[in-house]
Amino acid sequence: MMGLLSPYRVVDLTDERGLLAGRLLADLGADVVQVEAPGGSSARRCPPFLAAGTPQQESLFWDAYAANKRGIMADLDQPDGQQLVRQLAGRADFLFESATPGVMAARGLDWPDLRALNPSLIYVSITAFGRSGPKSGYADSDLIVWAAGGPLNPHRDGDRPPLRISLPQAYLQASADAAGGALIAHHARVRSGLGQHVDVSAQASLGLASLGQVLAHAVGDEHPEFEPAPRRMDQSGSGSGTDPTQKKWRCQDGLIEFHVGVGPAAGGFTSAFFKWLADEGEPVQEFVELDWRRVPVLMEEGSCTEADLQRARAAVASFLSRKTKAEVLQAAMERKLLCVPIYDTADVAHSAQLAARNYWVQLGEGSRQRRLPGRFAQVSIDGFAFRRPAPRVGEHTAEVLQEWLGGARERPAGPAGQHAEVPA
Amino acid sequence: MSQALEGLRVLDFTWVVAGPVIGRALADFGATVIRVETSKRIETARHMVPFQNGKPGPENSALYSTCNAGKLGITVDLQTEAGQALARDLARWADVVIESYAPGQMQRWKLDYDSLVVDHPDLIMLSTSIMGQTGPSSRLAGYGNVGAALSGFQDIVGWPDRPPLGPFGPYTDYIGPRFSLVTLLAALDHRRRTGQGCYIDVAQVEAGVYLQAPEMADYAAQGTVVHRVGNRDRAFVPHGVYPCLPEDGKERFVAIVARSDDEWQQLARAMGRPDLADDVALGTAEARRACEDELERAIAKWTANQHPQDVERRLQALGIPAHVSASSRDFCQDPQLAHRRHLVTLEHPLHGATTVEGPRYLLSETPGVVARAAPTFGQDNEYVLREILGYSAERYVELRDAGVLV
Repeated sequence: MMGLLSPYRVVDLTDERGLLAGRLLADLGADVVQVEAPGGSSARRCPPFLAAGTPQQESLFWDAYAANKRGIMADLDQPDGQQLVRQLAGRADFLFESATPGVMAARGLDWPDLRALNPSLIYVSITAFGRSGPKSGYADSDLIVWAAGGPLNPHRDGDRPPLRISLPQAYLQASADAAGGALIAHHARVRSGLGQHVDVSAQASLGLASLGQVLAHAVGDEHPEFEPAPRRMDQSGSGSGTDPTQKKWRCQDGLIEFHVGVGPAAGGFTSAFFKWLADEGEPVQEFVELDWRRVPVLMEEGSCTEADLQRARAAVASFLSRKTKAEVLQAAMERKLLCVPIYDTADVAHSAQLAARNYWVQLGEGSRQRRLPGRFAQVSIDGFAFRRPAPRVGEHTAEVLQEWLGGARERPAGPAGQHAEVPA
Repeated sequence: MSQALEGLRVLDFTWVVAGPVIGRALADFGATVIRVETSKRIETARHMVPFQNGKPGPENSALYSTCNAGKLGITVDLQTEAGQALARDLARWADVVIESYAPGQMQRWKLDYDSLVVDHPDLIMLSTSIMGQTGPSSRLAGYGNVGAALSGFQDIVGWPDRPPLGPFGPYTDYIGPRFSLVTLLAALDHRRRTGQGCYIDVAQVEAGVYLQAPEMADYAAQGTVVHRVGNRDRAFVPHGVYPCLPEDGKERFVAIVARSDDEWQQLARAMGRPDLADDVALGTAEARRACEDELERAIAKWTANQHPQDVERRLQALGIPAHVSASSRDFCQDPQLAHRRHLVTLEHPLHGATTVEGPRYLLSETPGVVARAAPTFGQDNEYVLREILGYSAERYVELRDAGVLV
């Protein structure tokens, strides 16, 4: 097992704000060395935890996104540690960091410093707002970036304030972008032999998660929401412009996601849905006969009304309340419906689809074993390499120094000698 | 330096969001991307808000525009044999083929990897779909809201006392393309070194679940199921979005987070609540969690008669994370995004000018360039057939008049 990126070496200095980027490259076969301070990465203090509140407490955030990397210890605030990173950077193809802007320069480890040592190095920075600019020094967190990047503000549940996803996501999206940006820079290096700086802003990364809403002002659409009828009915199949509460339906054992779509792109799926109801004996013939593709036009003409849609929705609610999640998934596949169960964590973990595609990987042995998402794509050749669980602090210091630096350097006097004493 | 991906030839059979933004990123960095669509069955994104000047219409969607800027665009009726033959000629030209149809559709057109690789042994082809091309649920079609439901995201956005709201829009549409791009760029490098192409099958659901990897490990190890918690956080208290003075008749909000006990005390003092700051019983996040409702009410009371920008400024001056809940106007006028030149204005053949988002990362030596607006229907039909494929004028006219190029 080698992976698509097996020839490449990565120095990973990131904390929880950038940890995922290196894991993506490691999964694709790169040799990724995670550098931690003697006290351990701050990402080790990020929830969720295994055995929370006990001496054995362990961050599953760390375990998930530092997996597949090797770990060495270096204190970046001490000359020894800085020197070690310089030496590693001299042998690396990529370096990822997610420090607050200014911090790496103060350590003498910024892009200009390392470029002088290794002109072919690709140096990737993952920050909340970008490496420079008026907000680059802002205090940050996932929610703050989510607020600045666009997806927060339009997302309301009625009278309540705008709402984020219950789990932090902003830096994960930015970190996935960082991996992409790094590989684009790599393709430039293939031509020129030269590395460069890749500056990832989590704020800028999130514009996409607003589904274009952030552009509304710039293109002169001051009301980028769909109105009830008829001028701007939501005709997207995903129902992205429809009140999300109108797309959730109770079933016997949970909830169902289904948008009663109208218009040329989505109406056909609604017709197919009512055909299912009719086949199961529901009195919905009028909605089978209604041309859902033409509903926006029919409403404009007045031959279909909001009251008709309300009756259709009532029929949907009644029918789905008698179904199970599994029955709905089966019907969705057989009949090509845009109607699926809303999975919780357990449903995802037990998904027959993910199991059939060999998605999960078990990394580590005994108490270190973790079941994690693995193959984020199916590749027809040898694409991935899953090698090891997330490292303990300094677990691979000796072997990495030997492999990367050979006999060229002494073991550092400070941190690297202590690794066995630091709990994982 | 030349552009990072200059000379790379990409044939793009994608639609909506998860597929098109892959080719968009490649185009930004120098690839030639030809996007194939048909005006006979207009793709979903072209029907979606926001619209240029607020006017609905298939040439007016800013979502379509930002997902497809920088590409050449042709219209081909792939239901016709001549259209399929044209697509196969384009595939022979291409280094990379990307598609996002429902699994099985490309086989029906004989445009799937197994068909195309016969003439093109080092082809790299990427399919992106909701569930993937294989497995018992592969036939499940859908948009990203379906992906968000089956990857667990629909369930974990919302208030604990209400049904789930789900994420904003088709969430896995934003995640999938990032994993597609990384895999595709790695495969291109592998081919450069070995001469070997490959087929890549990305499932939006699998990309989405990767962004819940810690929670999946948690479930496997100790059975934990994630619950929706509004705007609260597992680590930080307080952590929320609070109402401010309305502006132009619109409700306004500000997000505020205390990442440490010290930040909490500074926040309480800034709020004019030294009693809360000095209350030793509120000295830890766990202690504050026990009375989070009360603390949130106190913060909301303080923000309610302020402008969100003022709250942001005051708290950021103290080093406390705070930001306006940015509207589109705020985003478009954000000085930080302006510093990064994130919004790019482009000439547009119908609208005079339009605005799209720029690349999401800045490369110091080979920066991304958005060369042109997203194509209007069939904008580049003649150029692509005549100049790129080298078809004769007669052949182009024949195809056009036969209704293949629609």
